[in-house]
Amino acid sequence: MTSSTLTKPSHPSTPPRSPKPAKPDLTFKQKLARFDYRVSPYLYIAPFFILFALIGIFPIAYTLNVSLYDWHLLKGQGDFVGLNNYVEVLSDPFFWNAFRNTISIFLLSAIPQLIIATGLAALLDQALRGKTFWRMSILLPYIVAPVAVAVIFAQIFNQYHGPVAGLLEAFGLEPIRWAFDVLPSHFAIASMVNWRWTGYNALILLAAMQAIPRDVYESAALDGANKIRRFWSITVPMIRPTLIFVVITSTIGGLQIFTEPKLFDGRTNGGSDRQFQTIVLYLYELAFPRRDFGRASATAWILFLIIILAGLINFAITRAIRTADAKPVPIASGPAAAQRAKGAAS
Amino acid sequence: MKPSRRKIAASVAGVATLALIATGCAASGSSNGGEDGGKVTLSITTFGTMGVDANYEKYMEENPNVTIEATNLEGGGAARDDAYAKIAAGTGLSDIVAIEEGWLGTIAEVSDSFVDLRDYGIDDEKDSWLDWKFKQGTDADGRVIGAGLDIGPQGLCYRGDLFEAAGLPSERTAVAEYFGGEDATWDRFFEVGQEYKDKSGKAFYHSPRFFWNSFVNQQEEGYYKKDGETLNIEGNDVLKDQFVKIVDAEKAGLGAGLPGWDVGPEAKEGKYAVYMCPSWMLGIVQGYYDEGTTDSGWDFADVLPGGSANWGGAFLGVSESSEHKEEAAKLALWLAAPEQQAASFELAGPYPSTVEGQKLVADTKSAFFNDAPIGEIFAARSEGVIAQVKGPEDSNIQDNVFGPVFDRVSQGEITDGETAWKEALKLLDQIVG
Repeated sequence: MTSSTLTKPSHPSTPPRSPKPAKPDLTFKQKLARFDYRVSPYLYIAPFFILFALIGIFPIAYTLNVSLYDWHLLKGQGDFVGLNNYVEVLSDPFFWNAFRNTISIFLLSAIPQLIIATGLAALLDQALRGKTFWRMSILLPYIVAPVAVAVIFAQIFNQYHGPVAGLLEAFGLEPIRWAFDVLPSHFAIASMVNWRWTGYNALILLAAMQAIPRDVYESAALDGANKIRRFWSITVPMIRPTLIFVVITSTIGGLQIFTEPKLFDGRTNGGSDRQFQTIVLYLYELAFPRRDFGRASATAWILFLIIILAGLINFAITRAIRTADAKPVPIASGPAAAQRAKGAAS
Repeated sequence: MKPSRRKIAASVAGVATLALIATGCAASGSSNGGEDGGKVTLSITTFGTMGVDANYEKYMEENPNVTIEATNLEGGGAARDDAYAKIAAGTGLSDIVAIEEGWLGTIAEVSDSFVDLRDYGIDDEKDSWLDWKFKQGTDADGRVIGAGLDIGPQGLCYRGDLFEAAGLPSERTAVAEYFGGEDATWDRFFEVGQEYKDKSGKAFYHSPRFFWNSFVNQQEEGYYKKDGETLNIEGNDVLKDQFVKIVDAEKAGLGAGLPGWDVGPEAKEGKYAVYMCPSWMLGIVQGYYDEGTTDSGWDFADVLPGGSANWGGAFLGVSESSEHKEEAAKLALWLAAPEQQAASFELAGPYPSTVEGQKLVADTKSAFFNDAPIGEIFAARSEGVIAQVKGPEDSNIQDNVFGPVFDRVSQGEITDGETAWKEALKLLDQIVG
């Protein structure tokens, strides 16, 4: 572990601590200094946690409360019904339809996105002319508001008069019912997500790649490893923590997907026959058009638990990979191997 | 190099917080105009093409202390969800909110979110409205929560050029006669559709949804019985027969298999030839074309299969949370007054719900609809029209029960009327039951 701002420095300058247990009487100033030393860090990070409690913890707890009642959106709180809302949601075929759609859209977006982002990052990691230009360019889609992206893509994938339909027609292909058939609609929505997030993730991965010491590559090259070998044996293992971070954030985002499927057909809640209704859209339909706030809240909690579960699975996989990583790897010698051995040992 | 757990946790928490910030607080605060030296900012939320905006400038000129902050949402569904969310939150409603007939019943369940317009003098003008329209805006306790704007008498929008090309009559009185004039029936409508289809090889209408809605609105009791609480769908043979007829017409290729809305490009390509037109729909059809278009081929005929009926129409309510109720009510009542209703009609087509307003537009013609005398036609189309009693789930049933089933029929997924009806009942049970 390298030095970190979160760990205590080994030689604190203030206050000077006597090595022996004998407790000397501290002056007020010393007490203040000690207070400052012990408490200040928490005060510095407090704003985040206070904010988090207000807009994170409180709504989560309040939602739990709502989910235990018959709660009409407009008329408000009704009778206490215990877990009945949860039972109703879990026995609703629409919920499971939404669950399947969410997973499907998530897989269709996350997998190609990670592969392309890693590839893009590797390309940008090369010595390119106009580096900043290329790097900024791939971030551009991220700057565009998701609503605008969704509106534009809904036009592009319009079954009847979109450019994609025109292209298919030009090649004499059958029109694809983008907003009506399940898989095409998932593909179209996943493409919006990919468009928006690939560049963003590529930049994060690029940052991780740039942190890899160049001499590792040099010594590998001297040992005769070609570019592809160096990518798989040095780059990928060394950006693994970042990859995991990217996977976790895209899992959380992917399970909560709302804007893209909502605006893909704005007049419905995820397709006329719920072809692309995700869990959050299902929640939205319960909460607003159907005005059942209790069941909507139960759905929110179920989604919350699903996300936690997904997080735990991610964590377990991460641990498994790390353990596997402890085995000696034949190719890289020198600093890379040393680094990895250090990482695995700790 | 390995990330500490703490770092991951912090990152995850950070991302989660950002997500919450990003999603949690959509635009809030609307009526915070403040009263600096009598200056008032009034917010108003409308939807679709209501034409109310025709009058804002004039009001601000006449009342220099008032600034109108207008928001127009794309569709009635969006406006409904927006209003529900803000009522539930207890904050965020505009000073003036446009409410659609289809979900007025739901709003009436929590009518205390809106002021009683009787406190602001609506009773003095009571007689200017059509009686039934005024009653619709009144809740069970007699509070008047909505000032009527427009009503939705229906005529038939049709493409004169395409009718002519297919060898059908194209002049509007001849068209009306061809469909049966005063005695026009739905059977005749489907017959003409079949004839058009046979002669032109093209679909007659874009989606069966509108024709279904129109039919439901023609019945004395629609999705609900007159009490506004009992569902009137299962075992209702009148509805079912028409439903099956529509499915059969789809099977015969009368529908173009298009979605219910946003079908402008297809209109330009002549992919369909008729559009069900309650008054407020004129603005929607017109909106498919550039402003000032007069050669689109669209025309408007004084005929409705199955007889006259009302479809839709809006109200203006003043939210209880408004900081300027007095000013807002004044503006709402002014916007709903005959003269302003007439101006809205001339801009976008929603037909006045006041007797005087209807008189004012009697001579109005529409350049877009081939100079059709729309004022005169709507006057004829609204004779004897009385709106049906709507229940709390009316717009939900229209959008989320029958809408999806018709889409599946249009897409050829269901071809049998009996099966489609069962699907609709199943959805009804899941969504409303």
